[in-house]
Amino acid sequence: MQVSSPQDYLPIIIQFALALGFVVLSMIASHAIGPKRKAKIKDEQWECGIESVGDARAPISIKYFLVAILFVLFDVEVIFMYPWAVNFRYLGWIGFVEMVIFMGFLLTGYFYIIKKGVLNWE
Amino acid sequence: MLAISALSVFGIIVLFLGFSNNKSALMLAAMLSLLATFGLALYEWQHPEITPAVAAGMMSFDNLSILFTAVLLVTGILLLPLSERFLVDPKAQPAEYYAILLFSMVGAIMMVTFDNLIMLFLGLEILSISLYVLTGSDKRNLLANEAALKYFLMGAFATGVLLYGVAMLYGAAGSFSLSDIALYVQDNHDNLSPMLYIGLFMMLVGMLFKLSVAPFHWWTADVYTGAPNFFTAYMSTIVKTAGFAALYKILSVSFVGVYDYWFLMLAICAVLTLCIGNLTATAQQSFKRMMAYSGVSHAGYMLIAVASFSDKTPEAIFFYSLAYSIATITAFAALMRVADTKGSADFAAFYGLAKTNPFLSFALTVSMLSLAGIPLTAGFMGKLFVFMSALEQGHVALVVAAVLMSAVGVYYYLRVVIAMYMREGNGVAVTLSPRFRVVLIATTVLTILLGVVPSLVAGAL
Repeated sequence: MQVSSPQDYLPIIIQFALALGFVVLSMIASHAIGPKRKAKIKDEQWECGIESVGDARAPISIKYFLVAILFVLFDVEVIFMYPWAVNFRYLGWIGFVEMVIFMGFLLTGYFYIIKKGVLNWE
Repeated sequence: MLAISALSVFGIIVLFLGFSNNKSALMLAAMLSLLATFGLALYEWQHPEITPAVAAGMMSFDNLSILFTAVLLVTGILLLPLSERFLVDPKAQPAEYYAILLFSMVGAIMMVTFDNLIMLFLGLEILSISLYVLTGSDKRNLLANEAALKYFLMGAFATGVLLYGVAMLYGAAGSFSLSDIALYVQDNHDNLSPMLYIGLFMMLVGMLFKLSVAPFHWWTADVYTGAPNFFTAYMSTIVKTAGFAALYKILSVSFVGVYDYWFLMLAICAVLTLCIGNLTATAQQSFKRMMAYSGVSHAGYMLIAVASFSDKTPEAIFFYSLAYSIATITAFAALMRVADTKGSADFAAFYGLAKTNPFLSFALTVSMLSLAGIPLTAGFMGKLFVFMSALEQGHVALVVAAVLMSAVGVYYYLRVVIAMYMREGNGVAVTLSPRFRVVLIATTVLTILLGVVPSLVAGAL
């Protein structure tokens, strides 16, 4: 078994420090170098010409939520296929049959969604 | 193993049957699924070699697992007819309810058959997530929504603690397999990693939370009260049986070597649970809330059986969970009909019930006596087995505390009996459908039968 010691993680820490350093540095730099304009209109939160109306908590159709959650669901389940694809030869026919069963269940779920009319937007 | 595979497929079939318009076929299909699964589970009684061949060491159906599976399925079979209201309620979604119920049963069966902590986690999550959904199934009821959200947030947190504990155990023993962990504990008995103790502690906290054991019981009353009556009955029986079977399995297979460590924790929790559950139950005005605290207190008795860890323990947990489940089904069947008729789950709704519904009152009385542990009922034999297993190991203090607290239990269980027989009601009779009648007769007969001849099932091990 290969045991990793704490110093093996040094490159990750360096990478992390570099990423953080870049953000901090570029923010300071843009504040210091960039031009400063101050005016009443400039200071409004929404500066593209349209005034903000109402608040952000307006009710939105459930369909958006359903599509989003279904996307996440199928997306995550399909990730399961990557490790199988990598070990395709090693897992052989048994692995293939198991994956077919898995896809069968997934398709059943998809069929259920369609029958329930979730994707019916009219 | 066959049972789990079959039940998963049955769940999907029931889900799709929901697209047909014939709703009463749904209950029939769910019932047939449970019966078929019951048959498959019993089939493996003679064939212990089926599961290891396909489960790759993740699960095993030994005789004890099959017995607990049988308790779970019998509970489900007895409960299912009580869900008839969903078939006529236009807002209910019976196909989805039944499918989720069958899936949750898969999780529960996994919790009594696992051989690997990963399978325990999967089973627990399949059961819990199904229950979060079922708790909130009454979408337009604010109390149910509150219950579901509370249950979900607290349950997810407890799962996190449990999973962290499992990770620690892996860090200590280098394996998720119960037998490998047992081997590690045995080989390094004098030099155990502190991570093992921390991991075991956190895993027990997670499990005890799900079992509503004090001091992790705070969610129970609100969740049990807010959930629809049928699903409260379901979760207060299934989770207890599956959870205690799982708890016993982990501790008895992997952690025999560190008994002194977990005994203290479980003993303290057991006494605390008994005191808090019983004393709080006496103060309730609502029958449903009283049943929630009664569920907490019964977790305490079963915990005593686990903590005492004698060779009688598996039998005690098995018999106690069966007796408790059957009596709880009767109680909730009565509650469902009374609450539907009178619109309230308070004790006051039961006033004068004996005059209008003598049979229902008799059944409820038997179930209350069984929960209180009065002789000639299954509950008495259950308590007897629990106390015997504790006394065998010399835990007299635990038994004394439990006996004292069951005396408190008699007080609040008899309150509803007094309400039915000695108070004047408004004379409104509760109607019982044939399905309710059959279930009530079955549970009442079973309660008395198991109380008189416990050897019917107690000798099965």
